[in-house]
Amino acid sequence: MRKLILIIVAALFAIVSVAPAFAFEKGNERKGKYTYRKVYQACNDRGAIESAKPAVNPDDKTQSQWTRIFEKSDFAGTFGCEEEWKALSQDDLADIYAYLHDHAADSPSPAKCK
Amino acid sequence: MKNEKQFKKRLFAGLLALCLIGAAFSVYAEKAPDAPGLEMARQAQQGMAANWTTADHSTFQPLKKKFATGEEITEACISCHSEADEQVHKTLHWTWLDPASNPEYPKGKAGYSVNNFCISANAMKDKKCSTCHVGWNGKEEKVNCLTCHGQEKFNFTEAFADLKYFAESGDEDAEMIMSDIQEGIAGAAQKVGLPTRDNCGACHFYGGGGDGVKHGDLDSSLSSPDKALDVHMGVDGQNFQCTRCHTTRNHQIAGRVYGTPAATDRKSLIEDDLMGKIMCESCHTAQPHKADEKLNDHTDKVACQSCHIPAFARKLPTKMWWDWSKAGKLKDGKPYTVEGPLGKEEYMSIKGEMKWAKDVVPEYLWYNGSLKTVTAAEKIDPKKPVRVAWPVGSADDPDARIYPFKIHKGKQPYDPENRALLAPLLSGPYGYWTTFDWQSAFVLGAEALELPYSGKYDFVRSDYVFPTTHMVAPREEALSCEACHAREGRLAQLSGFYMPGRDRFQLLDIAGWLLIFGTLGGVTLHALGRYVFRKNGKKK
Repeated sequence: MRKLILIIVAALFAIVSVAPAFAFEKGNERKGKYTYRKVYQACNDRGAIESAKPAVNPDDKTQSQWTRIFEKSDFAGTFGCEEEWKALSQDDLADIYAYLHDHAADSPSPAKCK
Repeated sequence: MKNEKQFKKRLFAGLLALCLIGAAFSVYAEKAPDAPGLEMARQAQQGMAANWTTADHSTFQPLKKKFATGEEITEACISCHSEADEQVHKTLHWTWLDPASNPEYPKGKAGYSVNNFCISANAMKDKKCSTCHVGWNGKEEKVNCLTCHGQEKFNFTEAFADLKYFAESGDEDAEMIMSDIQEGIAGAAQKVGLPTRDNCGACHFYGGGGDGVKHGDLDSSLSSPDKALDVHMGVDGQNFQCTRCHTTRNHQIAGRVYGTPAATDRKSLIEDDLMGKIMCESCHTAQPHKADEKLNDHTDKVACQSCHIPAFARKLPTKMWWDWSKAGKLKDGKPYTVEGPLGKEEYMSIKGEMKWAKDVVPEYLWYNGSLKTVTAAEKIDPKKPVRVAWPVGSADDPDARIYPFKIHKGKQPYDPENRALLAPLLSGPYGYWTTFDWQSAFVLGAEALELPYSGKYDFVRSDYVFPTTHMVAPREEALSCEACHAREGRLAQLSGFYMPGRDRFQLLDIAGWLLIFGTLGGVTLHALGRYVFRKNGKKK
């Protein structure tokens, strides 16, 4: 019994410590830039927003703010276009996160969406 | 009693007559035509709102291909516009050199010219400055036609870099992304036309490294201005694009000022309808005000801009002071920036101390259309402020007129041994903005220009003028006579000529007062005489 509890605790500890690392894993920031633009393009195409240009720029937030947003998966609240965000794969999200994080306000190369 | 009644009748009649004359004048004024200069300008503008484009570039085969580089787009352009490439190579926009300057020490950004902003382009070796050149990669690649003619804001540099990256990445999604990028590139390349304010403004609004830094009368507020900011460019009025006045022949654009004036002829379109339209007089004529108005007598000595641009930087601030000697301070070993009350930097470790101002009253100087500049190859006198750029002209110069200027003041580096202004290399991995090492920046800058550097440096006060010619205010905002014709008026500091209301000429003053008192004395004596001898008349 004791052994089982130990194994469960160890497993839980491992999951808790490793999970954020997976959640924050960054993808390809170049791909992320185009995927991010496509989200807004698709959202604009179905008439949910007025402009296809992303309303939220990478330099609108700091790196830690981006990390928190992706940690909470609060995409609709931050970006709108819920339908499009739901359709994204984990890889797509990792790419977008890399783009936004690497060009955040406190990054070495802050950027706005073109 | 009878006399009193008669007097009242006459007074009433007189007042009535005055009212009638006043009313007649006001009716005349309402119906009177506008000033001839305004009428002429309206005629010159007729039909300009119409779309002159006769071609839809999105239907052209050469522009439908998948472009992999900027140069391929240029090839597509010149496959039809066969002479354009060669024409552009002869312009200032390409050479960055003043063709009228000494070929041994040519002036211009690609030559030995310096200013008191970012100082020098180091013969185009400072790559940060070269981002505003009209080539795809400075002069090293072909002309980027889309810099001036592209109607869509599109980051070609980024798109081509991404295209190259994905082509080499081997990523399974790469092909789809590349297709999207190429679609975007072709779409932007197909949207071409006459240059807009945004095309020109992409560089000219941001000269000196930021919005409104260099010119007080050119900043991003002119991208979509209202009439109150600029009567010509106002989107709620005439909506002029830059090319309306900066007319072009063979890609040579009128209006650039170095040693030679932007225009040598002060002609209107009536006199020569094929001439450039860069002067106010081109459309408004040399007699722009209503006939017999005194203002028409001013146009040979006072530039239109002097009265019609009462202030510059009316929407956004402009930089007025730049002290390079304060650059290089660090906080915790890192460069920092301090923002001022106008939302602009007051201190930057990489650039030094700055002062900004809004709604600035210009300074007025005599100007015949030429600027005298000091290059990095010339000797200076460090004991007094160096006039890096200063207008040529005086009250005696028949071609000179009083003109409004922004004078940008500052402190910039010079070589005390060679008595010459220094041109430090600023950007890039070895520039001052990265290394914070003046010595190495001066050495690299001098090498780029092939000029000597003694190894010693100091900072000298300097002035740099910009003629103010944009941001023309509505006529109601034009200066009144008293703005200048007053003891402490706008022209109080301008010497070398007599101006009524401002200056005193004792002999003329005495003669004037004598005339006034003499007239008063004469009238008084006459009245007294009539009064004293009035009874004689009655007796008769």
